[in-house]
Amino acid sequence: MTTRDLVLIALFTAIIVVLGLIPPVTLGAVPITAQSMGVMLAGCIIGAKRGALAYVLVILMVAIGLPVLSGGRGGLAILAGPTGGYIIGWVVGAYVTGILAERLVSERQTGGRQIAGFLLASVIGGIGIVHLFGVAWLAFHTKSNLGVAFMVGSAPFIPFDLLKACIATLAARAVLAGYPLLHARA
Amino acid sequence: MLNGLNIEGTTLLHRMTVRMKLAILLVCGLALYAVSSFFVLVPAFIIAAVIYFTTGLAFREAVSRLKPILFTILILLIATAYLTSIHTAAESFFRLMAIVLFAGAVTATTATGAFIDEITRLLQPLDRLGLVRAADVGLAFGLVLRFVPDIFNHYQSIREAHRARGLKVRPLTILAPLIILTLKDADTIAMAIDARGFRRPRERLR
Repeated sequence: MTTRDLVLIALFTAIIVVLGLIPPVTLGAVPITAQSMGVMLAGCIIGAKRGALAYVLVILMVAIGLPVLSGGRGGLAILAGPTGGYIIGWVVGAYVTGILAERLVSERQTGGRQIAGFLLASVIGGIGIVHLFGVAWLAFHTKSNLGVAFMVGSAPFIPFDLLKACIATLAARAVLAGYPLLHARA
Repeated sequence: MLNGLNIEGTTLLHRMTVRMKLAILLVCGLALYAVSSFFVLVPAFIIAAVIYFTTGLAFREAVSRLKPILFTILILLIATAYLTSIHTAAESFFRLMAIVLFAGAVTATTATGAFIDEITRLLQPLDRLGLVRAADVGLAFGLVLRFVPDIFNHYQSIREAHRARGLKVRPLTILAPLIILTLKDADTIAMAIDARGFRRPRERLR
């Protein structure tokens, strides 16, 4: 890993932290935090390996008790609690998003193809994988079945996550056009 | 901007080593999943609550840290109680709360610097195998803490630019400039780190 990769990882982690500091946009009555778009953005912008490592760094910061999550949350209690699975899922989600984005999107494609590729990567990695880990952990911790855990922990958030995937896709496409990093080897 | 969640103090937990605290948390966490008797779970919950509320954390702050987690736990357990049994729900409540309270106590009594040192030490075996550079973790932490205020300033200036042009501040129009503005400094920062020789090649360290 070059020093540049290390710096890109750290800067992206810092961006994720800042996304948690900016006030959430409310849609109806539901606050939409920009931070939850981070997984999709990390995978689509800096790629699988660096994106996943940026999230490893986020988790380490949570673990050592820095309030880096939206709403000033942090600490081991968040990781050990019933929703810790979603946080672990971020690392794998960013990796899967990155793998798909690296394979599906190239700089020579038309804008439409790039958007389709990023959207698919964001939905599978940023929503599918994250909720898979989250629900499995939730069901295990509360000794309930997967259906209940899904209905309580994931289902209410999925429509908003789809909206976030669209926003993240357009942002990732804009970054790819302005300052491409995705295919520079990590 | 990013102050740790720990609190100064001299309790037993403050004086314990980080490794010891993490080991106790891990062992207790795993052990609690192996038992389902209320005679173990309820005392564990009470002990964890006593430890958590005696760390020196102000009562109001201690409660407000628990709120988001408590909220999720309660919603889930109401669903569990309704769909399976109240017994299972109560069992999960005491187990989860015991773990969450003890984890909160470890966070409240451990300085972030001590944690980073411990992480670097725990990575030493992997460092020797050549898998990771333990020193990189500390460097990355430092970079994040250094650049969070800068990136927040970027965000504020982009927001002001929006306002000056009468545009609504939306995530979509903020994200791309914020990310590009931040990441394009990567080359300069990397060169500055290399110029100071912070990441010397492995061979020369020996």
